[in-house]
Amino acid sequence: MAREKIYLEEVFPSPFMQLWGIFRKTPVAMVGFCCFIFLILLAIFAPIIAPYSPVDGNLQMILLPPAWHVDGNVSYLLGTDELGRDMLSRLMYGTSLTFGLSFIVVIFSLVIGVVIGSLSALTHGIKSSFLNHFLDVVLSIPSLLLAIIIVAILGPGISNTVWAIAIVFIPQFIHITRYAVKEEFRKDYVLASRLDGASNFRILYYSVFPNIVERLMSQATLAQSAAILDIATLGFLGLGAQIPLPEWGAILANGLERFYIAPWTVYLPGLAILFAVVATNLVGEGIRHALKLRKES
Amino acid sequence: MLTFTLRRISLFIFTMLVLTLLSFSLSFLFPGDTVINHSGQTNATAAELVELKASYQMDKNIVKQYGAYLGHILNGDFGQSMASQSPINNEIIELLPATIELSLVALLIAMLVGIPLGFIAAINHNKASDNAILSFAMIGYSIPVFWLGLLAILVFSITLGWLPSAGQISLLFEIEFVTGIQFIDILLSDSPYKWQAFSNASAHIILPACVIALAPATIFIRLSRAAMIEVLAASYIRAARAKGLTFQQIIFRHAIRNALIKIIRHVGLQFANLVTIAMVTEVIFSWPGIGRWLIESIFQRDYTAIQSGLLVLSCFIFIIHILTDFIYAALNPLARGNKHGA
Repeated sequence: MAREKIYLEEVFPSPFMQLWGIFRKTPVAMVGFCCFIFLILLAIFAPIIAPYSPVDGNLQMILLPPAWHVDGNVSYLLGTDELGRDMLSRLMYGTSLTFGLSFIVVIFSLVIGVVIGSLSALTHGIKSSFLNHFLDVVLSIPSLLLAIIIVAILGPGISNTVWAIAIVFIPQFIHITRYAVKEEFRKDYVLASRLDGASNFRILYYSVFPNIVERLMSQATLAQSAAILDIATLGFLGLGAQIPLPEWGAILANGLERFYIAPWTVYLPGLAILFAVVATNLVGEGIRHALKLRKES
Repeated sequence: MLTFTLRRISLFIFTMLVLTLLSFSLSFLFPGDTVINHSGQTNATAAELVELKASYQMDKNIVKQYGAYLGHILNGDFGQSMASQSPINNEIIELLPATIELSLVALLIAMLVGIPLGFIAAINHNKASDNAILSFAMIGYSIPVFWLGLLAILVFSITLGWLPSAGQISLLFEIEFVTGIQFIDILLSDSPYKWQAFSNASAHIILPACVIALAPATIFIRLSRAAMIEVLAASYIRAARAKGLTFQQIIFRHAIRNALIKIIRHVGLQFANLVTIAMVTEVIFSWPGIGRWLIESIFQRDYTAIQSGLLVLSCFIFIIHILTDFIYAALNPLARGNKHGA
């Protein structure tokens, strides 16, 4: 009988894989993670699987309640709105606007924030202190307020909202990267590779980044749940996505006038937002929980 | 304490400079003529325009322009609202107290509900009640505030008819404007229907304040839970237990005080968050505050109002921030900086 393993190799998983190992064993976090993946898939494939167009209405089928209602119609599973547009299709397309855009926005701000943050972590003196103060000021202004101001400058619209939110989230990534990189640079393993003659950038890329990536991810989930809420809130206030676009907040604002006779046009998009934010937060909680456990072990 | 105060004051001045610089540059970023954006005088004649340009020193270099703008702000001259052509500082004085009132009541509710719940969760750490409170906190933190406001109106105002859904007070009551904070004005007024007005105003504030309070309350739950768990693991608690104090004595005499100090530190940061939520809630509940006014100004492209509203709101947030820092330092000697013997 052939022995496949001749000697017992000791494998040390990378910090990231250790984290994943702990994360996988938390059922609640895995449920959140599955919902998160589901939303991403929905955001990508919404145009293929949605049964109807999100903007063309069927005027024979106005204000149809959801299918479980007595007057409901099973071909319009979640009912229709005042122009006969299918709510299910609108919510599906809305996933790619509200959830998908927030995901892209956060990735974008993350990349820019990490680059600026790690560069600034290597600076010292007055430049660094000025940046510190400046970041404190910017971070003390709530993200939504800042986004509203930027939208006021650029004018309402979904693309301007996306830019505004991307700009708003950059400072917090700069802050966390800067803090994390500075902390890592004080540790001995960085000193060791510096004694080997590694340049700052080499240390940053090969030694520091693998150790701070989870912290960045945890911040990214926080930022994303805020981004979903911000995009939806701006859409609700009429500053974000404009009329025919099926953005969740905008759908909700659209249903507002018929709140009493057609409550599903208001509570369904609200539930969709809630679902997306809870899924994101569960993933974030899972990462933070795993980080804590890994630190203790 | 003196170094601490000086540090805070320098931070305050720096922040105000950055904020005024931001609102100054907004006039250049907004569409339209800079001097009109500064002053809001859309219907000015040619002669008035020349005068305005002189007063804002528009022909000098940018530093002088900023100085002139700062001078206007320090004199309390925010210009005119482009939409209503009335001075903005009058509008702000009328509207800001309503926002202060609403957000302070909401902060109070959030702290009164959130902190005890967090303590309960921490004392029953890893038990069913802890998990229940944590799940509640997660949902409360994730719920979009505008949706929550609408649901609250649907349930409590329309279906049950318990509470009014809009405004600050019923229009039947005539309350003279003194401080702008409704409750104080009612108590100061000599109307025979004082107490009816008071109860009416309270009924109006409950719903919006609770809606605003939910998200900050959940954050207080998490903060106070974390603080309490940390305190309960400390060695002085173990010492108290070894002395034979009962569980109540340990919690009420030792743990709560030490945990509260840790929480107060975060109140300032949470307040900024709370004010943003209040802005959206004001729109839904037609609350006559500065948040609704600011969002309306965006629709009306009233750039002067937007830039002054931003300045005043962030100023207000920052003052609260500094105040909580001072309270924290007054309560906790460790925070005042110079650590003797450390």
